[in-house]
Amino acid sequence: MFSIVTYFSVEALLLLLVTALLYACLPQKLRRWVLLLASYIFFYSISGKLLAYLLFSTLSVHHIGLWLADVQNECAAQTKGLARDERKALNAVYQKKQRKIMGFACFIHIGLLVLLKYTPFFSENINTLLKLAGSSFKLQIPKYLIPIGISFYTLQAVAYLFDVYRKKIPADRNLMRLALFMSFFPQLMEGPICRYSDTAVALYDAPKMRYDNFVLGSQRILFGLMKKLVIADRLNLLIQNVYAEPNKYDGFIIALSAVGYTFQLYADFSGTMDLVIGAAQMFGITLPENFKRPFFSATISEFWKRWHITLGTWFKDYIFFPVSMSKPMKKLTTQARKKLGNHYGPLIAGAVSLFCVWICNGLWHGAGWNYIFFGMYHFALILGGNIAEPVVIKITQKLHINRASFPYRCIQIARTFILVCFGELFFRAEGLKSGIKMFCKIFTDFTFASLKSGSLFKCGMDRQDYIIIIVSAILLFVIGILQEKGIQIRNSIAKKNIAVQFAVYYALILFIIIFGAYGAGYVPLDPIYAGF
Amino acid sequence: MIYVKRIFTFIMFVLGLVGLLIGSSYIFLPKSNEKNSGMEEFKANGILGEKANSIDILFIGDSELYSSVIPLQLWDEKGYTSYNCGTSGQTLDYTAVMLNRTFEKQSPKIVVLEAHAIYRKFTVKNVLFTKTADYFSVFRYHNRWKTMKIQEMNKPAEYTFTDECKGYRFSTKVKASENAKTHMKPSDKSAPIEKLNRQSVLKIKKFCDEKGAKLILVSTPSTKCWNYMRHNGIEAFAKELQCEYIDMNLMKKEIPIDWDKDTRDKGDHLNYFGAKKVTSYLSEYLESTALLTDKRGNPDYEKWDLALNEFNKMLKEQHV
Repeated sequence: MFSIVTYFSVEALLLLLVTALLYACLPQKLRRWVLLLASYIFFYSISGKLLAYLLFSTLSVHHIGLWLADVQNECAAQTKGLARDERKALNAVYQKKQRKIMGFACFIHIGLLVLLKYTPFFSENINTLLKLAGSSFKLQIPKYLIPIGISFYTLQAVAYLFDVYRKKIPADRNLMRLALFMSFFPQLMEGPICRYSDTAVALYDAPKMRYDNFVLGSQRILFGLMKKLVIADRLNLLIQNVYAEPNKYDGFIIALSAVGYTFQLYADFSGTMDLVIGAAQMFGITLPENFKRPFFSATISEFWKRWHITLGTWFKDYIFFPVSMSKPMKKLTTQARKKLGNHYGPLIAGAVSLFCVWICNGLWHGAGWNYIFFGMYHFALILGGNIAEPVVIKITQKLHINRASFPYRCIQIARTFILVCFGELFFRAEGLKSGIKMFCKIFTDFTFASLKSGSLFKCGMDRQDYIIIIVSAILLFVIGILQEKGIQIRNSIAKKNIAVQFAVYYALILFIIIFGAYGAGYVPLDPIYAGF
Repeated sequence: MIYVKRIFTFIMFVLGLVGLLIGSSYIFLPKSNEKNSGMEEFKANGILGEKANSIDILFIGDSELYSSVIPLQLWDEKGYTSYNCGTSGQTLDYTAVMLNRTFEKQSPKIVVLEAHAIYRKFTVKNVLFTKTADYFSVFRYHNRWKTMKIQEMNKPAEYTFTDECKGYRFSTKVKASENAKTHMKPSDKSAPIEKLNRQSVLKIKKFCDEKGAKLILVSTPSTKCWNYMRHNGIEAFAKELQCEYIDMNLMKKEIPIDWDKDTRDKGDHLNYFGAKKVTSYLSEYLESTALLTDKRGNPDYEKWDLALNEFNKMLKEQHV
């Protein structure tokens, strides 16, 4: 049976190759069908009959979009030629109608996501509360099969409907274009979370496959493979051992694993994004970037503008702004501004919006207290940073520290990295309790004894494994610096003569084949973000 | 013209890549079949170090097999030369690899396949990987970069190592089975065999026929891995293959396994005491095929006597 487990499986790469081949050979009208068919085959091979959920979401989004458009058109027709006051009153009536439709749409789409993903978690917690209250009543904990990518395509669907509601885009009457937008197979499992205006038209147009796109896309896929097979899968040897039984290890090893996990998560997710974006590029489709050298961030806010960018912008556009621009929040800001001034005044309404964003962000990643803690941790850090900013500016001014200087930025980057690693420790820990224990152990049981005795090299990764990880990290660091300087490495390689190009590709392929963590003795890492 | 140029460039790229893979495979291929040289499954691959055309019986399968058949006991009792190529979790794609490797240097008259491997799931992906790794061993031995020395890289491969127990894994651990009483409860149902597994066994049968070797299917005793439904499945499949099938799980008289004493891990695998009983039965059975000759006393097989002496010495040291 043809079944795909990860993007990095032979089956997935085979599907990509066959689709690319058909796409290259067929005329435009059929190319879009090839993409849609490949997308549904991809979905079916992972989730089987749960494909029905995706089809239902697509049909419902299409229908609700048209419904909204009809109401908007009706409103425009009815208000045409009316006096201002009458127009305003009628607009309000239609606005209310649209809001009801949006409420219904959210109820269906977010409701389905909540039902499938969060009911077991909520039921468990209600049972715990009932038990604490002395009640013998117990809710049945449901078990649902969750279709792959539901967290991703639901957000795309909701974004599309909100954009139609806000008249940013017209509702699409073409069901196929919408179906392609919802299901395009490279991005189905782990994103990026695209907007309708980003990809729908290009997907439906199904541009001709071009040689340069094919080469650049293949390059990026190779780079993603390197990150996944050499770094993420190799680090798995250490991470799975330490996080499974943290009590066995000292604070130094736990701290190292926290750093290792942060790097692993980055290599896994950004490597997958390289594959996804590279695969789309082969078809001439430009997907939005999800990563922009996040470890060069000076603050946590900046980090979230560079890490999982499409999720961050989704929360910003569809949660942060609507909440902060709502009437009660505007009123609150005006009042607070009078009492607390221009910096701290807007912070209160901002904090409420930020709280909504981070509780959703935590829950989006998973139904568990550690994920909620992870969200609240970042909420506290960002809010704390905003509150402390004027004080920090004053202190640095008094101490004559140039905040724009290179050493100061380096310190900020290091601080942000450490804070991110702590956050990821809770994120990966097997439950919140375990995360707290591990965090405490870093400070109460920190010793270099394991390094001196060599037991560090018996926790899953040996000396050579560490060397490869360090070499790969240096490689990514150098590439990151070049990209920060605006150098387009892939384009530069593509412009070199054929011998240099071949040498670079061969070196990368051999690096993956020789240093990849696959075969006997290795357990490949499950795609982390596909689980969300 | 541009298309021709691109196709030419692509062909050149692929050819260069194949050349690099061949080169790196040569470098990474273990230069000896010992564990220290990085040889995979070195005990099973010890057969590569056996004298050419000296092995009469090849045992092949998973851990059930390497725990159950003692080649040196067969030598001791009947003078038959055999090798146990069982490996942990062996899937049929690897069975085919081991068969091919063995028949390059040996021409066994009998191939005994442990039937548990027939029920072990594997995918087309496994087959592809195994095939690719067969052509380009860098995929199988890439991890040798950790231990490889520069002087090794250019050395020609020379496989002279052979396992002292001829592939058998000795263990005297005892952990009684917990389901011995319900083991092999009769059933009319038959456990289905995956399509890919069926095809693989058919290929193995064809290969053995072409090489003039008799294929025998065997189920060694295991209360964890074997049941009546699997017995039915293999029995029917053996008929289809037109080969013999011996289910030792049903031979309680001929092979009186004591599930309190003869297993090392609660009935999953046999220990030495159980393996001795299985091998004794096998030696009689193999004699009855009249395909093999007693080679004891033949000066060409002196090393087998030496290996047996060492094995017996080890048994004494272990107070067995």
